[in-house]
Amino acid sequence: MSCRVTPASKRFLHPEAIARIAQLELRARAVVEGVLAGLHKSPYKGQSVEFLQHREYARGDDLRRVDWKVWGRQDRLYVKEFEEETNLRLTLLVDGSASMDYASGPLSKYDYAATLAAALAWLGLSHGDAAGCAVFDDAVRSSVPARMKRSHLTSIIEVLEARGSGGHRPTKFLPALRGLSETLPRRGLIIIISDLLGDRDGIAKGMQMLRRRGHDLVLLHVMDDDELDFPFDGPTWFEGLELPDHIACNPRALRDGYLAEVQAFLTGVRQQAAAARCDYSLIRTSEPLDAALVRFLSRRASMAV
Amino acid sequence: MPSFDFQSLLWWGLPLVAAPIIIHLINLLRHRRVTWAAMEFLLASQRKYKTRVLLKQLLLLLMRVAAVLGIVLALAGPRWSSSLAGMLGGARTAHVVLLDDSFSMGDTSGGSGGVDPATAFDRGRRVVERIVGDLATASGRQELAIGRFTGLAFPAASGSPPTFDLPLQSVAPGVVQEVRDMLGTLRVSEADCGPKEPLTAALETLGRGTGAGGVVWIVSDFRTRDWRAADDVADQLRQLADAGVRVQLVDCAIDAATNLSVERLEPVGGVPASGVIVPMEVAVRNNGDRPVRDVAIELREDGAARPGVRISEIPGGATAKQRFDARFETAGGHVVEARIGPDAVAADNLRTAVIDVVDRVDVLLVDGGLAAADAGVAGDAFYLAAALAPGSGAPTGLNPRIEPPRALATLDLDAFAGVWLMDVERLEPAETAALEAFAAGGGGVVFFMGPRTNPEAFNASLYRDGEGIFPVPLAGAVDLLADPTATAAPDVMVEEHPVVAVLSGQRNPLLSAVRVERFMAVERTFEPRAGSGLRRLLSLRTGAALAIEQPFGDGLVVVVFSTAAPTWNNWARGNPSWVVVMLELESHLARARRRAESLVVGAPVAVRLEPGSDEIEVDFTTPPQGAIVHVTGTASPPDGLVASLPTTVAAGSCAARWRRLDGTERERLFAINVNPGEGQLERMGRDRLDRALVGVPFHYDAAESLQPEAGVMAGVSLLKPLLHALLIVLVVEQLLAYSASYHPRSKLL
Repeated sequence: MSCRVTPASKRFLHPEAIARIAQLELRARAVVEGVLAGLHKSPYKGQSVEFLQHREYARGDDLRRVDWKVWGRQDRLYVKEFEEETNLRLTLLVDGSASMDYASGPLSKYDYAATLAAALAWLGLSHGDAAGCAVFDDAVRSSVPARMKRSHLTSIIEVLEARGSGGHRPTKFLPALRGLSETLPRRGLIIIISDLLGDRDGIAKGMQMLRRRGHDLVLLHVMDDDELDFPFDGPTWFEGLELPDHIACNPRALRDGYLAEVQAFLTGVRQQAAAARCDYSLIRTSEPLDAALVRFLSRRASMAV
Repeated sequence: MPSFDFQSLLWWGLPLVAAPIIIHLINLLRHRRVTWAAMEFLLASQRKYKTRVLLKQLLLLLMRVAAVLGIVLALAGPRWSSSLAGMLGGARTAHVVLLDDSFSMGDTSGGSGGVDPATAFDRGRRVVERIVGDLATASGRQELAIGRFTGLAFPAASGSPPTFDLPLQSVAPGVVQEVRDMLGTLRVSEADCGPKEPLTAALETLGRGTGAGGVVWIVSDFRTRDWRAADDVADQLRQLADAGVRVQLVDCAIDAATNLSVERLEPVGGVPASGVIVPMEVAVRNNGDRPVRDVAIELREDGAARPGVRISEIPGGATAKQRFDARFETAGGHVVEARIGPDAVAADNLRTAVIDVVDRVDVLLVDGGLAAADAGVAGDAFYLAAALAPGSGAPTGLNPRIEPPRALATLDLDAFAGVWLMDVERLEPAETAALEAFAAGGGGVVFFMGPRTNPEAFNASLYRDGEGIFPVPLAGAVDLLADPTATAAPDVMVEEHPVVAVLSGQRNPLLSAVRVERFMAVERTFEPRAGSGLRRLLSLRTGAALAIEQPFGDGLVVVVFSTAAPTWNNWARGNPSWVVVMLELESHLARARRRAESLVVGAPVAVRLEPGSDEIEVDFTTPPQGAIVHVTGTASPPDGLVASLPTTVAAGSCAARWRRLDGTERERLFAINVNPGEGQLERMGRDRLDRALVGVPFHYDAAESLQPEAGVMAGVSLLKPLLHALLIVLVVEQLLAYSASYHPRSKLL
């Protein structure tokens, strides 16, 4: 699959532009429309139906959907409504811990992750996939199961926006993922959008657990530029968003050690993702959302081929 | 131990050392707050680098404190004197101040009195006061010696060690007052003294110390006369500089106004005799550039004023003379003074002459034609005696005594004003020795040739290849051939010489009348030695010499190559010029004997006593106040028994009085005068001093603008090493700051 991002769409999909869009739904639409403008075909194929309910026949209904058994027994025309079957159940797990509140630019990591999740949900629903969403920190704070209906996006966005900001708990991946996996009735694609700051063992174990249950895993690792480059100068008082610690220091004196630690962390995460056969992508919050989305989709497409 | 030129600056600046610490503490309070997600990485980095970062920060803080401290110390002017060396007495800063008190420092040019210093010497005293005051407040161990030029020069001349007015000692508060009191008593001297002897004393004084940082201050007027060709002084200064001594010249003079000096005052005739007019001459030098007109000269004889004389004009840089007649009725010493009006320098406006007047002046005439028994009988000597003592109508004071040659060995020749030898065949060794001793002691000797003169004997005993008293080798008597081409030409030609100056000029009828028929020729191969001082007085028309003179020792020898009697010439026969020239010649020879009688201020005054005749106690009455100095005569070979006054401090007449063993009292007067050359007030200035003292590192300041540098005052300056250390500290600070990442990122890139 190839995609193209037009200059106009890119202009509006830059985080600064997206940030100016207040509602998450609008933001997600803007992202996806920008992406779709460059898509040639859907990445998803095939169809299946699953009985949903009976409905009284109305003019115009396809006669092939009339349930003749009911007409034979009750002499009333009912048509069978089927829930469109999809080959993809997309579940978006968005990290809503306190560390996701850090923002060096217009969007915090959580804003970026939520927009990305909404965009992915929009994209999935628009292709007839079922999409669900959950926001977690040390546990699942809010969730909505996967549905195919396009209107389901609203529910997803409500879940994402229900987090609010500030005063949140630290990340504990394993209990959150365990609790979530028990609510997933079928195997599907689970996209985890997180900064992965927190219980590192829990990430590995959680991914292993989901993988064992047959889920396809995608790990979108959202990091702020500051966290990757550590560009601070001058005496600075660092106060932990999740941890209660603080450090008063000259940041540049600690920069080398910090970057080494970050590199070790990223390397460890990549290794854990690889061990769990998890598709891992590192996304900077300064990266345009559409580019991040296209990169993700392209990667998925190449894996599918 | 370290000391500081600006101690107060140090106290004000030291609190600034705390500035980096305060800034550091303030920065701790001014942290930017960042709520940070990835704390675990930051904490891990801090755990890893905590010790290193802390150490760097401490070092950086230390470097910044050191840098501020270094700047404060540098501004405070630090210097170092080793306390250990100080305890051992080695480390010190020795200041030797040489104050010029020669009489040119009495120059009042530019001085208005009152608040302004009246003389250059006053300015010099103020400079010394300022130096002493600065030394008293300077840190470190300061030592000071103060000496005047005359105090250091004249005792040295008499064999005593140099005398500093303030011997080398540590500068304590009490010393400052002592120096001020001492300076208040100092007056400019009337002596003429250059910097050589004072610098010798300074070299000895500074050479005794082992500590570094010596300074020699020369507070003088730096006259051209003293410093123009001062190679030996330059050598001394170079020695001082090589020894690490700073040479500081302080010029107290300013451009001088006109200054006149009474350069000379002396009798110009023969030996003065009582009742005889003594012609005297006074010479005044104009040391300025512009001519001076109508200079009045006051005259005094034995303290009594007499009519003065005037000089109509003295061109700039020239000397004008004026003659006057003096007459003394009694024998003995008489004092004549000549004084001009006030000008820039007062000391050289007065000159004193002591005239030793005798009842009669004995002149020994040795006639070769006389036998011993013929003493007093006129031969050739008759004509000379007639010229020297014409008679009562024209008293000259001269008393010719005619003796045969052998009298030279028996008579005390020092009793005669001059010895004249006429037509002497030869002299015996004893006679020659006596004659040479007389001449070498300042006596005047005149030889007349004649038929008896034996050239070979003269050459052998008197000429002695140039070692004897006779100035030329003789060839023999020759006739002066008649000149066939110019019969009217005179036989005698006048040369440039004061004795015959009265006959010089256009054709002189008196001299033209002189006919020379025969004369004693000089060996043709003779060439006078360079520097022999041989001069012609008269020449013959053939170019041969008729009369010559040559110094011998302190005396003078004149040879007339013809006869005194009208044997080989007709000069003495009724020609007035004969009398004139002979009297002039007698005065000329007598003046040669008097030259040694003139003394300058500062020179010792010595009286030779006769053992067995004189008592050894001599009282010197010294100018200016007539203080009596009692001196005991001592034997001082080869002069014999001598009573000597080591030095004199002022101009005027000095009297030496002593008793003889027979009870009679003797007195001898000396004229003590300033050296008139010191009155030349032309200044060297910085440029000419630079040229005269090539290769000598010296510092030059005018007295009015002198600001004694702090570096001169004490110890070794630490400024340069401190600045180097400061530079190193700043570089290390920058490296540490870079290493500790305190530099802005933009500057790194």
